[in-house]
Amino acid sequence: MIRTLNSPALYAICGGIIGFVAVVCLVFLIRAYRAGIAAGMDKGMLKRTITSSVTFTILPSVGILLGVIALSGSLGTPWPWLRLSVIGALHYETQVAQAAAEQVGVGTLSAANMTPVGFATIALLMSICIPWGMILSFFFNKSYLKKIKGKNKEEADKEKTPSFGDSAMIAMFMGLVSAYIGSYIGGFVSGEGLFTFKGDLTPIIVAVISAAVMAVFTYFAEKKHMVWLESFSIAGSMLVGMLAAVFI
Amino acid sequence: MNNEYLEKYNKGTHIIGRLASAIALFLLVGAPFLIGKVIGGMPDLSAVAKGFISVGLVWTISSVVEFLVYTPMLGAGGGYLAFITGNLINMKIPCAMNAKEMAGTRSGTTENEIISTLSIAASSLTTIVVLALGVLLLTPLQPILQSETLQPAFANVVPALFGAMAYQYFRKNLKLAMAPLIIMSVLFILVPALISQASIMILPSGAITIALAYMIYKKNGTIEKAEK
Repeated sequence: MIRTLNSPALYAICGGIIGFVAVVCLVFLIRAYRAGIAAGMDKGMLKRTITSSVTFTILPSVGILLGVIALSGSLGTPWPWLRLSVIGALHYETQVAQAAAEQVGVGTLSAANMTPVGFATIALLMSICIPWGMILSFFFNKSYLKKIKGKNKEEADKEKTPSFGDSAMIAMFMGLVSAYIGSYIGGFVSGEGLFTFKGDLTPIIVAVISAAVMAVFTYFAEKKHMVWLESFSIAGSMLVGMLAAVFI
Repeated sequence: MNNEYLEKYNKGTHIIGRLASAIALFLLVGAPFLIGKVIGGMPDLSAVAKGFISVGLVWTISSVVEFLVYTPMLGAGGGYLAFITGNLINMKIPCAMNAKEMAGTRSGTTENEIISTLSIAASSLTTIVVLALGVLLLTPLQPILQSETLQPAFANVVPALFGAMAYQYFRKNLKLAMAPLIIMSVLFILVPALISQASIMILPSGAITIALAYMIYKKNGTIEKAEK
């Protein structure tokens, strides 16, 4: 069965869809770059945005590649490759694939138990559980953004100050990061039983080291005017943090 | 600034975004049927329905919340692209926020829309290239990527990412950032069952921070460096 799931036909189907999405990304990239020039934005800044986004993404992408490898043992390589290149999320795919396998009676997710019907069913279930962001964007992206923009403008006009939109985004992101770091702290303190302090300390140490390295990058970028460092600061901090995990 | 061009650009973004979303959706839902035809077994629709009720509903709710929360962060172009390409929390959102931070653009402006779109598109293309190269070189790479020595590094990609991002954002207003961090830490310590639900706990954590930020904003007009 695993041979069938790794057949050239499946690579062609999945590769074709990934190719389509790559073209869409390229179209958006070129249009945005041209619009940036038309809007009078600094070319250097536009290029720095692209460079920093590329460097930022490389390490997490390698992590995602591990997800492809992990799933390839039971679902073949092309399908996890498609799912994790497009629409999917690392934490979602494995969980749903496992749950779907149980639902279709394949039991545990493994190539030995897989049947053609089982695979097609799991693949469809994985596909229909998370396309909602795409569907909602199709119907409501324009109107939702228009509404938010209007509200922020109204607020700013009324208050004669910058709108709350930027502050809300920063606050939301602080909340997001806090939830994750809080979960590492909770995992260490109570992960192995309430207040046992026997959980995994590694994520906390990694986060702290990564933050410390980021502080060094920021110091050089801001105080020593080495602006070019900004493009590599997140990727560099992550790399040092991840390397620290190897030595802990 | 070329206003006419930018107006056209915005309209075009929605047209292309909607078209791309519709085609991607059709391809992604259609693929299992096409694959089924190739491998000789069509999806069992009743099992899909049962599976959807048991695992899909939670993800549906989560997707709706993601749309409501992240669309304003990403803007039009970035929003369409991010929802097509996925990996929002662990990659696209931090990537777009980092780009916005570097460029110093304000939410809701054309400049921010452009920076966000550039960032999400570059990030998505990078993931596509890395995964394509990885799949191509799967046999030689597998022993390296799965070596026991490197496992702790790859198991800690997200803590490394959020550590770096924490420094970048917490320094904007340390007092404000401490509130959700302490509340969430105490909550996870007292209810360890929630640890595996961190992605859902983003919502109450974000809501608390936004509420506190609003109070600071009302007082100071901004939340940044309010402690100085």
